[in-house]
Amino acid sequence: MTSWFGRLRLEKRNAPGTGVLLLVPLVSVVAALLFGAVFLSLIGLAPVAVYREMLRVSYTTGYGIADTLVSATPLILTGLAAAIAFRFKLYNIGGEGQLYVGAIAASGAALAFGDRLTGPAAILLVIVAGALGGAVWIAVPALAKAWLGTSEIITSLLLNYVALFLMQYLIFGARTFWRDPESATFPQGARIPDATRLPTLGTTRVNLGLVVAVLAAVVLYLLLTRTRIGYRWRVFGDAPAAARYAGIPSRQVIVVVLLLSGALAGLAGATEVAGRAGRLDPTGLALNIGYNGIIVAALARYNPLAVIPVGLLLGGVLNAGPALQTLPGARVPVAISTMLTGAILLFALAGELFVRYRIRMRDPADVEELAEQATTAVASPRAGTGPEAEA
Amino acid sequence: MNETVLVLTLAAAVSAGTPLALAALGALLSERAGVLNLGIEGIMLVGAVTAFLAADASGRPLVGLAAGVLAGAAFTSLHAFLSVTMRANQIVSGLALVIFGTGIATFLGQSIEGRPLAARLPRTSIVGLADIPVLGRVLFSQDVVVYGTWVVIVLAALYLTRTRTGLALRSVGESPATADAVGIRVAAMRYAHVIIGGGFAGAGGAYVILARVPAWAQAGTTNGIGWIAIALVVFASWRPLRALAGAYLFGAALRANFALQAAGITAVPAEFLAMLPYVLTIVVLMVLSATDTRSRLGAPAALGAPFVRDER
Repeated sequence: MTSWFGRLRLEKRNAPGTGVLLLVPLVSVVAALLFGAVFLSLIGLAPVAVYREMLRVSYTTGYGIADTLVSATPLILTGLAAAIAFRFKLYNIGGEGQLYVGAIAASGAALAFGDRLTGPAAILLVIVAGALGGAVWIAVPALAKAWLGTSEIITSLLLNYVALFLMQYLIFGARTFWRDPESATFPQGARIPDATRLPTLGTTRVNLGLVVAVLAAVVLYLLLTRTRIGYRWRVFGDAPAAARYAGIPSRQVIVVVLLLSGALAGLAGATEVAGRAGRLDPTGLALNIGYNGIIVAALARYNPLAVIPVGLLLGGVLNAGPALQTLPGARVPVAISTMLTGAILLFALAGELFVRYRIRMRDPADVEELAEQATTAVASPRAGTGPEAEA
Repeated sequence: MNETVLVLTLAAAVSAGTPLALAALGALLSERAGVLNLGIEGIMLVGAVTAFLAADASGRPLVGLAAGVLAGAAFTSLHAFLSVTMRANQIVSGLALVIFGTGIATFLGQSIEGRPLAARLPRTSIVGLADIPVLGRVLFSQDVVVYGTWVVIVLAALYLTRTRTGLALRSVGESPATADAVGIRVAAMRYAHVIIGGGFAGAGGAYVILARVPAWAQAGTTNGIGWIAIALVVFASWRPLRALAGAYLFGAALRANFALQAAGITAVPAEFLAMLPYVLTIVVLMVLSATDTRSRLGAPAALGAPFVRDER
């Protein structure tokens, strides 16, 4: 090949530097904003004005920052749910449904037992119920994956629709335990007892859920990097064959990791019920928080600690769309947020190439020689991970 | 259930199965090239919203269909670029397509929310065949897309098994290194089939809005049938004709709630009947992986793995 393009060579990086790790998400966000600008222009809006407004409503006013934190809370939890599973090549994309069932379980437990409890016990009840609900919802895909080899991708996803219909039935379909008996024409969920509501920070809507989410991220990070369990999971995820020879029980890892992932998404449902909503609110919950958690996890490169800042960033973007609707003369489609987050993920995926490879322009002969040296010199276990897309 | 209800239900199942068949064919072509495309649901939504806008503007449903195909293919080229050139994780890239596609479709569809489409696909009975009792009503009193789907499915089956390019395609999906060694351009084959597959998924989405649902309803327009289509590919062991049969079977499941309601069965709440196709798909996938080893062996060996010549 004679063209300069033909002489571009990709060289595998041993370990990506901090610079490229930070640069890729930042460039992705900028690229997505440029991309979104095209669409905004298409419908006759001035992109710069829209973005300035988005920035204002989400990040500059005290009220806006509080709303961003409220949006970020469940997002960090579903982000962790996706991160923990995807990190070990277990693709739980049912976070959305696990969140709904977590919300159903949390509100159910609060309505049934909340009156008899006070203080930390009442809050613990809601949180544990939510986590259990989420774990139950991933149980069938997890067991099927471990024992039958059924791909968890589609089974976990399809259950999102089942959970959505279940939630709608509980409020709109019949007079159930979850429904407020007073609400006849516009059915809505019954209010959970005050004792089971998460305490808020001052006069804002920021609640204890944010603390739970951040704590969960830290605990997960320590679990993954500082414990034997985390080490075994990493071996399972990065080198399944080695895990088998080392006697790591893969079925057990699959089930435990997926149940944990489901529990985290269920926790997000619990914090939504006990924090923001105060009831089971099907419309308010069906905001793609589960799906957006996958974006958060991917941008954070499945690192639990990185999920926190990414969750705060995306929380702001997602908060901006609806927030713009409340302004007088609003013309910006609420879907601008969804579109932007999707675009950010696409650009980040493309950027992943630059994280994993170094781009070099060399004489072809030189490159071959280098490659040979590299393959013999590099003996670190990370060099051989290869393509990450093995399903 | 009297005979008329049965005939109507079967006819509706064929119509409901058509977008599934088209989308499954799209996923199948991509997977045969070794590229997993989980983005079908998002591609269908992009195809549907484009088809609505084009059919509405031109007043001609077939213009809408063509626009849906083109939009689906163009949108899917993102996935081709990410998975072939950028060697991205195909699972995450496909999911990105779903999220991004939902966003684009909702964004573009804001102005048509809840609005019915006037330029819908008309029924075109096949002269002669439509008069056959039962079968005529079920199969030959449909629209042109239903008939067109039979043609492309048969052509795809012949293409995969009886042509040189089809053979080359299969080798790319099974062993890209071998294909590369005998001079097949792996990247080009993958690009072509992922993008053409996207066109079929776009057609499936376009058909949903042109013939199935009464109005644009954001993500509720396709309501997850893109995911059922992906499961269908496994169910069909990566074969087009089986995918068509499976699509009609699942089409029947999608219509089951209406049939049960028409038959006067109201004891089961509508929400639970609506769960049926999704639960059925999960059960089928589990049973397949538990019993039928052939269905697993039917999967292209290199599915999901990027091909890098110097990294073998």
